[in-house]
Amino acid sequence: MKTLYVFGNKYLEDDAFSNDVAKEIAKTAEKGLEIKLCAHPEILLDAEEDELLILDVVNNIEKPIMITEVSQLKTRKLVSFHDFDVSFVLQLMKNMGTDKKIKIIGIPQRGNVKKIANEVKSWI
Amino acid sequence: MEKTITLNHITKIEGHAKLALGIKHGKVTKCELSSTEGSRYFEGLVLGRHYNEAHEITSRICGICSCAHVTAAIMAIEDALQYTPTEQTKQLRRLMTLGERIRSHATHLYFLSLPDYLGYESALAMASEYKAELQHALNLIRAGNNMIKVVGARDLHPVSAAVGGWLKLPSQQQIVELKKLLIAVKKDAVKTCKLFFTLSYPKFESKAECFSLVGKNRYAILDGWFTSEKVSFNKQQYRRFLQEYQSSSSTANFVVREGHRYMVGALSRLNNNSGHLSKDAKKMLKLALNDKKLDMKLNSHNPYMNNIAQAIELVHCIDHAIEICNTFEENGIRNEPVDKIRVRAGTGIAAIEVPRGTLWHEYTINDKGIITKANIITPTAQNLLNIQEDIRQFVPNIINKKKEYIIEQIEKLIRSYDPCFSCSAHFLEVKWE
Repeated sequence: MKTLYVFGNKYLEDDAFSNDVAKEIAKTAEKGLEIKLCAHPEILLDAEEDELLILDVVNNIEKPIMITEVSQLKTRKLVSFHDFDVSFVLQLMKNMGTDKKIKIIGIPQRGNVKKIANEVKSWI
Repeated sequence: MEKTITLNHITKIEGHAKLALGIKHGKVTKCELSSTEGSRYFEGLVLGRHYNEAHEITSRICGICSCAHVTAAIMAIEDALQYTPTEQTKQLRRLMTLGERIRSHATHLYFLSLPDYLGYESALAMASEYKAELQHALNLIRAGNNMIKVVGARDLHPVSAAVGGWLKLPSQQQIVELKKLLIAVKKDAVKTCKLFFTLSYPKFESKAECFSLVGKNRYAILDGWFTSEKVSFNKQQYRRFLQEYQSSSSTANFVVREGHRYMVGALSRLNNNSGHLSKDAKKMLKLALNDKKLDMKLNSHNPYMNNIAQAIELVHCIDHAIEICNTFEENGIRNEPVDKIRVRAGTGIAAIEVPRGTLWHEYTINDKGIITKANIITPTAQNLLNIQEDIRQFVPNIINKKKEYIIEQIEKLIRSYDPCFSCSAHFLEVKWE
């Protein structure tokens, strides 16, 4: 059983695309793939999988990218609770010695939903 | 000689804030703390909307305190409609509010405050060395999230709370599971107390009155009189006692009690409600009071002790939540649909205790159920003047220290209040003359 953790605020135009892509993937997803639309990143702390599979929107890219190292993410120091984001939680897990692999599929802020969903599926 | 220190971020507080501090010949000549967040206009946004929308709209004031605003808005509207909710509805509101307090306190204590006292820049920097401690925080945050989700049907911006009851009720099984989780994380709360008792806090006494709700039979959450060591008044009288005023330098209002600054938050609650703490929270308080190094007094006015109060509240909140779960386990969850309430024109007020202090919501609705007037006073608005005056009084004690040290201590003082200025990015400017 695989879980795809999907992050993105559906109310924000620049952040909602991951929800659209996730819904497209769900239409033709094989059995054994659970898609979780996540409201906050703490959900990753409870993940039981050895590899965290994450879908999120990335600024300033034109096609999907794959990130497999936490060090590839920009991490801010925690300024306030509002900065408790995916990259902070992943960095925290790493610094606390949590031994999990990560696979973050970053998608552009907008584009052809079907085409991007197919690309993402090939990486899952 | 004039020196200027500019910090682009007072880190680890919630929201935009700015402090302008002038020091001349070893004396503080200017001390001005202001919120620089953009105006939020929530009191305007709800005007013309149906009363059923107030809690959904005001929830968006802050994700961290969304349960607080939802609950306060609903209770104020119910007050305006002269409606009394069922005991089950009230208990579920308490449970959700306790969950939010556990989540908020654990986050503030471990991720925003603890790095200060252990000499780290951030929680990330201390994660490898303090793994066990941060695990306590994560366990508590998880428990708080879970409580909110079980009751509110979502862990941020709860959707099941409504005027007149709950749109969705938790199942008996969910309550049983929640109780198990709370019992399991209680040890994390106790360890939090013991950890924070070992830290070294500056000696400082704020001259402010400590206000919180005080209930007759329980550590106040959703009801009680607004009380300090000097006075006590009913929520209906709040406009007589509390005055909001604006400053040209701040987008947040300042609030005073008959012209005087005052303090709200965990320390005020502890001072005013310590007799109603749970048995184990009382044990923790006794431990703190007997700790010579900690030097904490009952009815402390040292704002740094707000951290201690929050830690003790973690134990109390878990105990109180377990007690509520026990009641539901014994009596079951009754299937209570949301009450249909007869619409009437009126004004309603709610004062509730939320993580950072007392939160006020007031609404006036017309006979069609449309909101015509709204007023919201947050805990941080009430603390703002007090933080500013505390800084003014505290700085002379450390005026001969290095600038970096002074700034660090001022930031620590501000953070001890766990203020929420509602977004990030902060600015501290200290002007030396």
